[in-house]
Amino acid sequence: MEEALRPRLVSAERPVDGQALAAASDVELTAACQNGSQAAFRELLSRYRKPALALAYHMLGDAEDAEDAAQEAFVRVFQAIPRFRGQAAFSTWLYRIVTNTCLGRLRRRREKISLERVSEPRSADSPSHQVTNALMTRQVLSMMPPKLRTVLLLRVEGRLSYREIADALGLPMGTVRSRLSKARTAFRKLWLDLSESGD
Amino acid sequence: MLACRLIQRDLSSYLDGELPAARAARLEAHLRTCQRCREEIAALEGINDQIRAVSHDLQVSQDFDQRVLRAVGYYQVTRAQRQRKPLTKPLVVVALILLALLGMIRHFFSRTLPLPARAPVPAVSGLAPAASGATMPDRDRERRR
Repeated sequence: MEEALRPRLVSAERPVDGQALAAASDVELTAACQNGSQAAFRELLSRYRKPALALAYHMLGDAEDAEDAAQEAFVRVFQAIPRFRGQAAFSTWLYRIVTNTCLGRLRRRREKISLERVSEPRSADSPSHQVTNALMTRQVLSMMPPKLRTVLLLRVEGRLSYREIADALGLPMGTVRSRLSKARTAFRKLWLDLSESGD
Repeated sequence: MLACRLIQRDLSSYLDGELPAARAARLEAHLRTCQRCREEIAALEGINDQIRAVSHDLQVSQDFDQRVLRAVGYYQVTRAQRQRKPLTKPLVVVALILLALLGMIRHFFSRTLPLPARAPVPAVSGLAPAASGATMPDRDRERRR
């Protein structure tokens, strides 16, 4: 029975209507997922794997941990999609799940990301100054309070509007606005502090 | 200076295109005359680029999708099995719990109830003791008399 189920459920072959899927909106894809379309889920996965991974990477500071978190988030999305009512955009909902998954991992880890723990992203032929900048960016983000870091990442990486961030985190719009302003000020101050201490 | 402080509160929202039009116009007018605020907004603008530059270099593992789909497939199969599973397992568990409870109740009462008092020897015709507290030697003596 399992053998009969497995190929139908987890087949990785490309769908016949791949072009239609690629042109479909997120709303159409989530509706198709709710009707059991594995191909629609694969399309959502291919659209959002990179931003989800980037968000997780910035929150966790470790490339492997971020991959695990992003994968866990997608599995949670799949499990919860029958209950998704479309009140928020799919991306907002996904980023909320990624954020919660990462916050859960951070709580379990119960430690601040140290410079040693910050791993470089898997990148090819990055010039050394870019690597330095990337490490400093990671370090600065890790030193920011999670509340500020989360709104900043949802805005910059997730490209969510203030309304969407407010929905995703269950905050008033005014709080999102002020947290983003504080987050940018804090980022800039920490960056300058780190630059000076490195000179 | 006061104007700068008021304006700087709005810079972040302005960058994100989330500032109401009237305030955005006031801010733009201020930026035209204030070098310091122009530098401030340029610095804040750089933050977005710095963060995105890090993730731009991120590479997703080649087996990322496969791993997600495997996990999803496993979830579906186990869920399907759970839905089809007969009730034998829960029933066995309930039966075991009941058995354990019965055993405990029996054990409890066997230890805590007092032992029954020794019952008097039933009266046999001609051999009935004279008094309820009579013992066998007493009865022998009576018979001999």
